Amino acid sequence: MKNQFTRFIVFFILIFCFSESLYAKNEVNVYSYRQPILINPFFEEFTKKTGIKVNVLHAKKGLLERVLAEGANTPADLILTVDIARLNQFLKNDLLIEINSNVLSQNIPAHLRDSNNKWFALSKRARILAVSKERVPLNSIKNIEELAEPKWRGKICTRPGSHDYNRSLLASIIAANGVKKAEEWASNLVLNLARKPEGNDRAQAKAIHEGVCDVAVMNTYYFGKMKFNEKNPEQQEWAKSINLVFTNQENRGNHINVAGGGVLKYSKNKDNAITLLEFLTQPKAQELYSTMNFEYPVNSSVILSEELNSWGEFKEDKLPVERLAELAPTAQKIIDRVGW
Amino acid sequence: MSNWNIWSVPVGIISLIIISPVLAIFYSALLGDTSLWPHLFSTVLPRYLLNTLILMIGVGSLSLFFGISTAWLVSRYEFPARSFFEWALLLPAAVPAYIIAYTYTDLLEYAGPVQGYLREFFNWQNSQDYWFPNIRSMEGAILVMSSVLYPYVYLLTRASFITLPISYFQTSAIYGRKPFFSVALPLARPAIIAGLALVLMETISDFGTVDYFAIETLTLGVFNVWLGMNSLSGAAQISSILFLIVVVLLTLELIARRNQRFYEKHSRQQTLELENVSNIKKILFFVICLAPLFLGFLIPVSVLLNFVIKGYSIINFREIIDTTITSISISFIASLTIMFLSFLMVVVATYKSNTFQKSVIFLASCGYAFPGTILAVGIVVFVGWLNELFYFQISYFVGGFLVLIFAYTLRFLAIGNGSIRSGVTRINPNLIDASKTMGRSFLTTIKKIILPLTYTYILVGGILVFVDILKELPITLLLRPFNFETLATYVYQYASDEMLEESSFAALIIVLAGLGPVVFLSRTIKKYSLN
Repeated sequence: MKNQFTRFIVFFILIFCFSESLYAKNEVNVYSYRQPILINPFFEEFTKKTGIKVNVLHAKKGLLERVLAEGANTPADLILTVDIARLNQFLKNDLLIEINSNVLSQNIPAHLRDSNNKWFALSKRARILAVSKERVPLNSIKNIEELAEPKWRGKICTRPGSHDYNRSLLASIIAANGVKKAEEWASNLVLNLARKPEGNDRAQAKAIHEGVCDVAVMNTYYFGKMKFNEKNPEQQEWAKSINLVFTNQENRGNHINVAGGGVLKYSKNKDNAITLLEFLTQPKAQELYSTMNFEYPVNSSVILSEELNSWGEFKEDKLPVERLAELAPTAQKIIDRVGW
Repeated sequence: MSNWNIWSVPVGIISLIIISPVLAIFYSALLGDTSLWPHLFSTVLPRYLLNTLILMIGVGSLSLFFGISTAWLVSRYEFPARSFFEWALLLPAAVPAYIIAYTYTDLLEYAGPVQGYLREFFNWQNSQDYWFPNIRSMEGAILVMSSVLYPYVYLLTRASFITLPISYFQTSAIYGRKPFFSVALPLARPAIIAGLALVLMETISDFGTVDYFAIETLTLGVFNVWLGMNSLSGAAQISSILFLIVVVLLTLELIARRNQRFYEKHSRQQTLELENVSNIKKILFFVICLAPLFLGFLIPVSVLLNFVIKGYSIINFREIIDTTITSISISFIASLTIMFLSFLMVVVATYKSNTFQKSVIFLASCGYAFPGTILAVGIVVFVGWLNELFYFQISYFVGGFLVLIFAYTLRFLAIGNGSIRSGVTRINPNLIDASKTMGRSFLTTIKKIILPLTYTYILVGGILVFVDILKELPITLLLRPFNFETLATYVYQYASDEMLEESSFAALIIVLAGLGPVVFLSRTIKKYSLN
């Protein structure tokens, strides 16, 4: 019995040691804030084309701290984030290298990459309003600022203010209107909420469907994901209940945030990492962003998917996305004060 | 006799190494600037603190109620399905809190089957026509968390109840006292408190449920400060408050217990026989035992099963088998490590240490009180320092694997220690002295006396740790090597986007993988108590 037990343990340890040798040499290691289910199709495509194997580690929090602590020993080559504030932290901590690549500068417009070419946006997500088809007449709300008007009392749903997406939206309002006006806006918005902020963006669309509220704040791609959800057809009904409203079309444009990436300073496979980054900005991958994830491509030569086209063209807020990252802490303080 | 001996010094050093990441968190808290505090104090902190306390009191009380009442009933009375409940009451321990939160929301929200049925039955048109409690609330959080955390109390309390000698009950009967209040409860106190401490620490450090239910606790505050204001040191400072709350709680308990004795004076005696009761009581007891099992296991499992049957789940057998093997192996290796260390630490702290050494050993088990992600960051920082000092030439995979085992040890040592300590306090010190008088070495005393007498508690702790590691998410997520997926991380990539349906099959496997050990454990305890 005792002998068996020892053998059992030795067996496990051997398994773990030998699995090491399975690693290929020609590879690139990615630390990703984005879930593997959403990026694996891109990587499979990349490996097919280049023969470079992609290893992914996904976590939603703490990857920055891990890279900092690993220092020169880090196995990571490329970092991918879903929010500019996180990406900017890698820049602030001097973890990214400058990349002078014609491919990248051709494919990505200037306001969507770092001025020193250290980080690059890979896709855009617009934060828009979802309004009830039944209860909200078209054109009755045009600007994000109007969410603070008393006529929406008890009619608005959002996820908690401290979520990255809302924090970034508030940062854009601070940039446009100043801290004081932004705080007034946020505190009136809280007064207008139909219920305590809870759930994710999808849950807000569902709340409109259920009649809990009339207006919700949402990222565009959730609409696409609900509309074509075959696994859970119930969500198609939620999508049917709402209209999408791009805000501030007659002034600064609709707020956008970006998902992006950069190559790490201590990367051991820099060339592979740059190749992967370039690959992600090429038309083929950019199309995948729009057809599979319903995000907007950064590469303007890419023709939008049919679905994205059907939502209509819109004017985007051209505020350099770095500003969003800089204003995020101020936004969080406002969120704390107004209790959003 | 000097206490600085070959037992206490190495164990003290091990404890120090284990606690180092926590020291790294404190260090970062002390270094960081405190400019955020006036803002935090005047805005969110009082609310966070109040919510945290309400949640702790709520979950603590309900878990005690579920855990003690069921433990007493199955140990003392004969009623239908009693022997089934004996082990089945442990099952909720295998259900991760983030999964139970999700399944309850799915069941009880507006679009869920419960409200849908009510609307149909009463012909209500929409949410304005009636009132229904919101599951995403403080009450909801207390309910769902208690229904998966009470097994800590149940398991330890029951292990204590079944080893009580019958003579105590006979004595209480002679004096006409109620056996539960005069004997069982007071004597089980170390076990009850140990269970309660685990429940409270788990409650304080929970992120999954409070995030899902949008309950603003200190833990949620930690993340807002860290990620929203880019202040890791501010987050470390709030975490340190959490830690202090736990230390205060545990110290109060130590003081309260100081002058009491819980061991049996005489050698082992016959234990209690089951009592027959009236039919009405039988039904009542059945219902009391069914309630927590229903809430913590049957409901969430049926919701998951329903997702799978409806075909919402992605079922990729190869992937699932691979992740299951990984999960079970790492949980197994880590729980062996933890129980070995726990046993060593508790025994040395009890018999071979002075007060200072005791406190060091005690502190080593406090990692349980930190939110997992913060602990993981502490470990990342600590291992980073070590690496700079020694520059290990270990491959990333093996290195990452060792770091994970280390992290689990820091996180779950409290469970091992708590369970073994409640066993050791029941050993009559005269036995140890007798062994010493006969010239036996301490090692022999451990082998011949302590180990056999704490066997049940070692198993109990081991299984709890195993099941906990199986469910563990934030630490695994951040510290794992590349391409390393456990069942929990696999489920998480869907659950984090509120699409748990798609990974419901894997979620069911987590629960099933916890089932085997739970049943095995219950059998062993029973066998042991009969011998």
